[in-house]
Parts: sequence; structure tokens; C-alpha cells
Amino acid sequence: MLRFVIRRVWQMIPTVFGVILITFLLFNVVGGSPALMTLGKHVTPRALEEFDEVRGFNKPLIFGWWGKTRALATETFEHSAGSWRGVTNAEFVAGAGLRLTGEAPVPLAFPLLPTNTYRLKLTYRLAEGASAVFQGLEKQPLEFSKVWKTVVLDFRSGARPTETDLVFRVTGGALELRAIKLQRGVGQPFDSQLVFYLNQIRHFDFGMSSSLNQPVSTLLKQGIGPSLTLMLPILIGEEVLAIVLALACAFYRNTWLDRSLVIVAVALMSINYLVWIVGGQFVLGQKLGWFPVWGYESWFYLLLPVLIGIISGLGGNLRFYRTIMLDEMYKDYIRTALAKGVSKGGVLFKHVLKNAMIPVVTNVVIALPFLYTGNFLLESFFGIPGLGYLGINAINSSDVDVVRALVFIGSVLFVVANLVTDLLYAWLDPRVRLE
Amino acid sequence: MKPEADKLGVEMAGRSLWADAWRQLRRSRLAMACLWIIGLYAVAAFYGEALYLYYHWQDAPAPYNVPHLALQYQAPALGAHPLGTDGLGRDIGARLLQGVRIAFQVGIITSLIAIPIGVILGCLAGYFGGRTDDFIVWLYSTFASIPGLLFIFAIAMVVGKGLLGIYLGIGLTTWVNLCRLIRAEVIKHKARPYVQAARALGLSHVRIIFRHILPNVFHIIIVSFTLRFSYAIGTEVFMSFLGIGVQGEPSWGLMISNARLRLWYGVWWEMAFTTLVIFVIVLAFNLLGDALRDALDPRLRTRDN
Repeated sequence: MLRFVIRRVWQMIPTVFGVILITFLLFNVVGGSPALMTLGKHVTPRALEEFDEVRGFNKPLIFGWWGKTRALATETFEHSAGSWRGVTNAEFVAGAGLRLTGEAPVPLAFPLLPTNTYRLKLTYRLAEGASAVFQGLEKQPLEFSKVWKTVVLDFRSGARPTETDLVFRVTGGALELRAIKLQRGVGQPFDSQLVFYLNQIRHFDFGMSSSLNQPVSTLLKQGIGPSLTLMLPILIGEEVLAIVLALACAFYRNTWLDRSLVIVAVALMSINYLVWIVGGQFVLGQKLGWFPVWGYESWFYLLLPVLIGIISGLGGNLRFYRTIMLDEMYKDYIRTALAKGVSKGGVLFKHVLKNAMIPVVTNVVIALPFLYTGNFLLESFFGIPGLGYLGINAINSSDVDVVRALVFIGSVLFVVANLVTDLLYAWLDPRVRLE
Repeated sequence: MKPEADKLGVEMAGRSLWADAWRQLRRSRLAMACLWIIGLYAVAAFYGEALYLYYHWQDAPAPYNVPHLALQYQAPALGAHPLGTDGLGRDIGARLLQGVRIAFQVGIITSLIAIPIGVILGCLAGYFGGRTDDFIVWLYSTFASIPGLLFIFAIAMVVGKGLLGIYLGIGLTTWVNLCRLIRAEVIKHKARPYVQAARALGLSHVRIIFRHILPNVFHIIIVSFTLRFSYAIGTEVFMSFLGIGVQGEPSWGLMISNARLRLWYGVWWEMAFTTLVIFVIVLAFNLLGDALRDALDPRLRTRDN
């Protein structure tokens, strides 16, 4: 048994790693800029930079010496001067790029970090006879070139940088720029987003919520209680009711009761969750006035959502358990039991129920992580301040950290629940262990 | 199989699985009714698409989107608006029709994303085994462990609100079950004599997988398609309702969301008709899926009948 446990725990590791990878890919790689998504386009580059700094989004993705900075927008001067519009001595020429003549300050949005390395990448062309100097904090002369040439200039910012530190000085002609990009040096190549994320996970630090300005872990702690008070009664009620009805189906198999229960189950499954909620709130809450429809003040406020939760999940569960019970009913040992004269009820409760407990346990344990993720719809409709409510608000306000934390923790709980079911299986049924 | 039998001059009395399944389906009145309903909805979806394209092409605002404030909250009555009008005086029948279009779009496009992923990965994992199998099993168990609805919402959030988010969200998360089923079935088929014969003939792996094995596991794809269709429709309704789905077009979820508040003032028709329309199509797909499973899976048939 111990060996089985160890093997099973070992198998869990790649899955957890996979979840980390997928959440990383989803939110850091595919997602574009979370800062833009959250703060919108109408904020200063500085605010975006601070957002990125807190969440590590300005570091290289996986590995590298150079990270992003929003101090200077990356430009390719194809159709317009971009952020260089209005810079003295800079003029956009269609087809050529940006023409600099004389002294042109680089339009930094905010001062660079003090004594940090930076890398400026430019594609330029310099007419013969002209000379240009890039005055970073050390002077960097640009070599003359007739064709387009890309250079990489590394420099270190001073102790007290300002927004006007970087200047192009061109004399005797024009410097044409086609592309420019500024990158920020990071201390060491492994100081990357992935490592930052892994470190966060290691410390159980899930970042800051951008819409609520609170640490995500605090929000999760606050939300778990209400979610549990809603989801636990639903889970228990749903399972008990479904098992009882499934046993009834098995007992009265192929009678009108069984058939009508099956039809009811399919019909229940086909009614959209929304309909239950809206209908329930309208009929039971508004028309009949039996239940309150909004708030989280006492147990009474939970009655209606719990009822709706039970009803809406009942169909699927009933069908599932009925299939299991009927599967069990056709096994040889049941025939033997019936043949030797055990009553139908005895068979059902002593034999069938006991053996059907394995899939039942699986189903229940697998449902446990959903206690944690809560129920988006019920919580947002009845104003229950749980994790589902938190999640919906976070998605609506593009609160990346909250959503990522919810996805990650939910998945890990699911993996753990899977492990628990497997161990339970092995404990209940020795055959599993031997495989 | 057939031409060979003819050549040998043997009378083959058997029917193919498909013909057999079709016979069984035909016999079930419920399943045929479901098929008819789905066909009707499909026609409505095409009609809705044609209307949408027409107005798009004409560059004119579609009538189902134009508010008529004089016609607010007309109760259902025979005449111009048999199903009544909504809070902006728009015809509910016409909007429901557009809802069918969106629902079918979501069902079909998400299937076009999810089914190829599931089938190809499932076939590769089952057929090649070894490292490939390990990798694919790892991939799907990772996907399977991320809570479904949350994952869909997160993808939709990352991609951006709108139909694309719905397509990718639902499409990229629902291939797992199909992949699992296909993999298990392919593993079984791989050991069968016909596959070994094909291999002995020197056929390529691709040909064996897609010409020999795939037709034998195709019934799984069909059943899964039917069942996931109703799931996709339901999820789209959720997402649109919560404001992370369809924007600016008449989707069922948005209609419920609009109708919800009016319901308290006695405007019942938008809510009632929308929920009815959703219920009927989801029920039809669920029942058809069950019937198909019974018809196409011979093991279930011998046990239950």
C-alpha cells in the first residue's frame, strides 16, 4: 500500500507542473499585456510599468538578460512618427522613416532606473559626411552607413536619471531612423517571469488584485467561507437525493416510476441553470415572497440558492447513479444472492449499495474542488460574497492575478482530489493496488 | 468488406453498423422527433445567417436590432409581433431566430476546434503508445484538472470579450473527454487482426490510423458531437448572460439577461419564449445523444434490451 501511495504521489507531480505551465502560458504568454488589459489604454506608461513591476510582467519570459521597459515605446516608423511626434528636430518622412537633424531628445515617458544597464536597438542610415552621436549617459558615436544598419547600444544610466538624458546629436546631415527599441537589463538571466511565478507559488503568494487592491490570498480567505456554506449543503443534498432516487429506480426497474424518473432527469438536465435561478427568484422570491433573493445575512438567505443548486444538479447525478446501480444489478453475485433467497430490498441495500459506493465516493471526491471554486452564477445572483462572486468580478474587470490564482488553486485541489479517490479506491478494492 | 464478400460469392446477410444504427434510430419515435427538431433549428439557423449576411451586405441596420420605442413591451398577439416585443420594441421572434444562429455557430465552431484535437491526439496516443502516449495523457490530465467553467472564462478573458473568446474557451477545453475515449478505443483496435494485417501489408501508420481504425471509432465522435453541442449552447448562454460572451448581437444569454429585470414587472414573454427555445433544443440534443449512444454502441444494446 505504501508503495502504491508513493507511486501515485509521484505521478501527481507532472500534472501539477502542467497546470503551472498552462496558467503561465495562458496569462503571461498568450494574454498579451495584462497591464493594458486591466488598466486600459488611457493611463500613463509609468502606471503600466509599475503594474508590471509588481507582478513581474516586465521581466524576460523564461530566460534572458533583457526585459521590457515602457520608458520608450518600440517604434518602427513605417506609417507615422508614433511617440516621436513633436520631438524637436525630428520629422517623419514617408518611405524613409524618421529624419533627425540637429539635437533630438529621445522622448522618454519617465526617467530610467538609476544605475541600470539598458540596451538600445536601432535601425538607422547615416548620410556620408554627416556625423551622429547618441548621447546616452556615455557618448556613443554612430558609424556612418549608406544602407540600413541595425546596431545595439548598451549603456548604463546614471545615479540620477531624468527624462531628457538620452539625446541624438546629428551634425552635417540627417540621421534616418527606421526602428528603435529600448530594453532594460536584468541582473541575472534567470530573473524571469517563469521563475517569478514559481517563486510566488512557492511562497503561496498569489499577487495583488488590481481591482480591489488587496492581496489575492486575503480575498481567497474571505471568500472561502461563504462559498462553503453555499456549496456544502448543495453537495450533500444533491448526492443524498440522487442516491435515494437512483436506488428507487433500481428497485422499481422498468416500471412507470423508473421511466418517469429517467425522463424527469433528462428534462432537469436540459433546463439551463439560468432558468432555475431567474425562475426561482421570480416565483419563490418575488411572487410568493417565501425567500429573500439577495444578501448573505443569515442561513435563511442561503435556502433558495441551495434549493436551486440541488435541483439543477440532480438530473445528471440521478442518471449517473442509476446507471451505476443497474450495472451492479447485473453482476453474477447479485444473481446468486437473489437465487439463494435474499429479498430484493436486502440485495439492494446490502450488496448493491455497498459495491456501488466506489463510484459514488469517486464522484463525491471529484466534486469537492468545486466547493472551493464556488458557484459563479448562484453567488453572483444571490449576492453571496464567495469565491465564485470574486471570480466573476475578477473576470469582468480583467483582474489577472485573481483569476490565475483561482484557476491554479482549483486545479491543484482537483489533482489532490484525484489522488484521494485513487487512494480510497486502493483501500476499498485491493485489486486496484495490484495493477 | 463488401466487395470482397461479393467476389467470394458469399451472401452476407449482415448490415453495417451504420445501417443498423439508423434502423434502430428510425424505430424510436422520440429520436426521430429530436432529429426533426434539430433539423428545424438548423434551418432557422441558416435562415438567420442569411438574414444577417443580407443586412451586413446591404450595410443596413438589421431590423431585429433597430429599436422602435413606440412598440415597447407589446404582449404576444397575432399580427406583426406574434411573440411580443422587448424593452426597445424589437421583435422577440426575430431576435430568437438570430439567437439560434449564434447558438449553432458556437456549437459547430467549438466542435471544429475540439473534435479534431481530441481525435488526432487520441489516435496518436492510442496507436503509438510509449512516449507519445505519456505526453498526450499528461496533456489531457492537465487540462482535465483545471475547473471547466473557470478555465473557459479565463480563456475568454485573455482572448477578449466576444464570440472569439467563446469559441476558443469552449473549443480548447472540451476535447479532453473525446480524446480519452478515442485513445481507449484505439488501444483496443490496435491489437485486432485487421490492424495487424494492414501493418503486415506494409501500409503507412497514417493510413492505418485514418483509413482503418478511425472509421471503427467514428461512432464515438458522433455521440460526443451531439452531447457537446448542448453543452456548448448552454455555456454560451451563461457567458453571454454574464457579459463575457456575445456583444451587440441578439444571443439567448443576452435576451435572458434583458428579460430578467422586466420579469418583475410582469413582462413574461421574452423570458418564457427564450427559455423555451433553449430548453427544446438542449433537450433534443440530449435525447438524441442518448439514442445515438444506444444505437451505435452494440454493447449497451445487448445489455439493456
